[in-house]
Amino acid sequence: MTRKPPYVLEAQNITITFGGLTAVNNVSLQVPYQSIISIIGPNGAGKTTFFNCISGFYSINSGVVLFQERPINGIPTDEIADMGISRTYQNIRLFSNMTVMENVMIGQQPRLHANCLDAVLQTYRNRREEKQSIQKASNLLEFVGLSAYADDLAKNLPYGAQRRLEIARALGNNPHLLLLDEPCAGMNPHETKAMIELINTLRSELKITIVLIEHDMKVVMNISDSILVLDHGERIAEGSPEEIQKDQRVIEAYLGSGTKNVIEKYSKRKSEKVHQS
Amino acid sequence: MMNKLLSKAIKNGLVAGVILIFFEMINFTSTIAVILEKMFVSDKKVKEVNPTYMIVIIGLILFLSTASFVRKNHLANEKSAAIKVLVSGLVSGLVSGILVSTLNAILGNYLNNGVDLRKYLDALSPDVIRNFLFQTDINNAIRIYMATTVGGAVLGAFASIVIQKASKLNGVFRSLKKGYNNLQIQKKCEKHPIIKKLFIVFVVIFIFALPMIINAYTISVLGIVFIYAILGLGLNLIVGLSGQLVFGYAAFYAIGAYTFALLTAPKPLGIEMSFIPAFIIALISSGIGGLLVGLPVMNLRGDYLAIVTLGFAEIIRILINSNILADYTGGPQGVKDIGQPHQPAFLVKILGKPLEENVWFLYLIIISLLVVIYIVYRLQYSRIGRSWEAMREDETVAQACGVTTSFYKVLAIVIGAIIAGAAGAIYVSRNTYTGPNEYAFMVSVNALAVVVIGGMGSIPGALLGAFIIKGLPELLRDLDNYRMLVFGALLIIMMVIRPEGLLPAKRRKLAVKPQSLEVLKEDLKP
Repeated sequence: MTRKPPYVLEAQNITITFGGLTAVNNVSLQVPYQSIISIIGPNGAGKTTFFNCISGFYSINSGVVLFQERPINGIPTDEIADMGISRTYQNIRLFSNMTVMENVMIGQQPRLHANCLDAVLQTYRNRREEKQSIQKASNLLEFVGLSAYADDLAKNLPYGAQRRLEIARALGNNPHLLLLDEPCAGMNPHETKAMIELINTLRSELKITIVLIEHDMKVVMNISDSILVLDHGERIAEGSPEEIQKDQRVIEAYLGSGTKNVIEKYSKRKSEKVHQS
Repeated sequence: MMNKLLSKAIKNGLVAGVILIFFEMINFTSTIAVILEKMFVSDKKVKEVNPTYMIVIIGLILFLSTASFVRKNHLANEKSAAIKVLVSGLVSGLVSGILVSTLNAILGNYLNNGVDLRKYLDALSPDVIRNFLFQTDINNAIRIYMATTVGGAVLGAFASIVIQKASKLNGVFRSLKKGYNNLQIQKKCEKHPIIKKLFIVFVVIFIFALPMIINAYTISVLGIVFIYAILGLGLNLIVGLSGQLVFGYAAFYAIGAYTFALLTAPKPLGIEMSFIPAFIIALISSGIGGLLVGLPVMNLRGDYLAIVTLGFAEIIRILINSNILADYTGGPQGVKDIGQPHQPAFLVKILGKPLEENVWFLYLIIISLLVVIYIVYRLQYSRIGRSWEAMREDETVAQACGVTTSFYKVLAIVIGAIIAGAAGAIYVSRNTYTGPNEYAFMVSVNALAVVVIGGMGSIPGALLGAFIIKGLPELLRDLDNYRMLVFGALLIIMMVIRPEGLLPAKRRKLAVKPQSLEVLKEDLKP
């Protein structure tokens, strides 16, 4: 029996600098299997940079990223996708002139093996693989609720549907770990609710571990097992949603350092009012 | 209101006048008039253009410009339309008439004073000026010009109104279109795939019957068109599908052509191989050429790749042109007596006598074209073609989805290079002669134009593009010196009307009925 490692992803003391700017400074993160971890922080805190170095877009200046106990520093993005890490993007990046089906089928690329000769000669392997790929893509689209759009161009989809299509594409390579970059950005409350449901199903039904960046606190507090807060590239807090809500440094990061006095004043005045009445 | 209309009409007249002057300066009007005249008069030998036809052409230009002016300004629907139309026609005609008359008065005076204007403008020989003066003196010519322009403009203005009023014509078009949509040809084809298959079989039979029924000139034009179709399909794979901007496509064409030529010709190397092995070696060497370009540039994007390949094409052209290598490549003299394929014995037996050389070659080209179409089609609608298209759309994301972009880039360039090599080998074998000048930059530009005009990533588009780039100039041959002008104008018009190409690639419908969540869960196990 193989021993299951405790964490699907382990980032140890990661530092990323661009020239003189330190975008991520000495940040560590442990992601247990089948958990949902959120990364929050003000704009420019280094959240997406952190994602980019996990999925291999940026190289790390110091520190180690372990995926299932294997270091993945410096591995090209396509091989990282092959290992089982998928992601979505903050500003939706679909293959806009391809159909929805084709988008999802591109996501399966690491799981397909037909070569040029197979394709030209239409070998048995190629035909079987294509058929399976089409079936799987249709299943995935049904899962995220986009079956109706299957043969439309990706660019013609409504905004919310495009976000879900990105998730369907990311699921194509049977990922262990899914990185969602602001999945609920720009959505109305109704769509947000549907997205929360979808993310929960991903974990409960498909057993996928999820790390997400999100600004919508309702979403974050609702679904996260644990939250990592970054500010100016540094880790300022980590813990359960309840702990984060009370954390003074988090409040300062979001609302500014003057808030402590403001909040005290406000509560003082409130209590005075209570006394007066 | 009237003032505004007047200024607009004057502007329209000015534009028409400038067009007339431009056409006169390049001697375009009289060329068209001659073509028109040839339609009615056989055996025209006199240099003088019949003034009637000149008048018709000039009148027609005014007619069209004023008609479109009236239509654009919606004069038909306004109050007292007749007066407004009459005024705008008169003004437009007068303005353009004055412009063009002034020019001709000046030119006529130069002619009378014996000044030779050819020093300054090549087209303006005394004969041409006499043609534009309608073979009379200046005063008469001015009268004719004024009458023609005003007449043409007024006629055009009223014709435009009449056509717009008779809106029944529009109704006919609309009902025709509706009827066509009701037929639902496309849907029927989808339901019964046999219709499509029958259609393809019919087209193939037609193509194979073609060389037997057309004349030698058409055969030679079709040959070059089909060779460019092969080139276009290859470049389409690189530019249209994988999105790599390769400018020096002629390099691979040249490598295939020269490899084949040197292996089969008696001079300068004297190998004299037979067709098939030489053809295969030509394919391999152009593939290696593609690899040589592809490997160093696999991390370059867009413009940089374009410049690198441009440089590569120039290197190849200069190498085969250089005197130092003349002992191996033939240098500027080129290569003569390039080998041709023999007709297979069984074919001769069946037909009783061998096919004519050019017919046999056209068959060979058609077969190669069909093979290339098949290969490109299969690649395009496979995992490989999908990866190429994803790379074209967004290279970074494609790689993050698991597409090994560097591999697929090189693969696209190598396959494209092999296809170009095939086109080159067939081309030189057909001509039995080749020289360095046949691989100039224009070949790359033409191949790129085939892809862009037809539609990026579309196979039928590449075929149509080849017909337009190589076939249309032949059809326009009667226009002589102006065919490139007309051709360029047609290209501009086409790209404005359909920027995505004439026959953009169609997406296939792939979706099938989804299975249950249980199957999906099983499927998604890492």
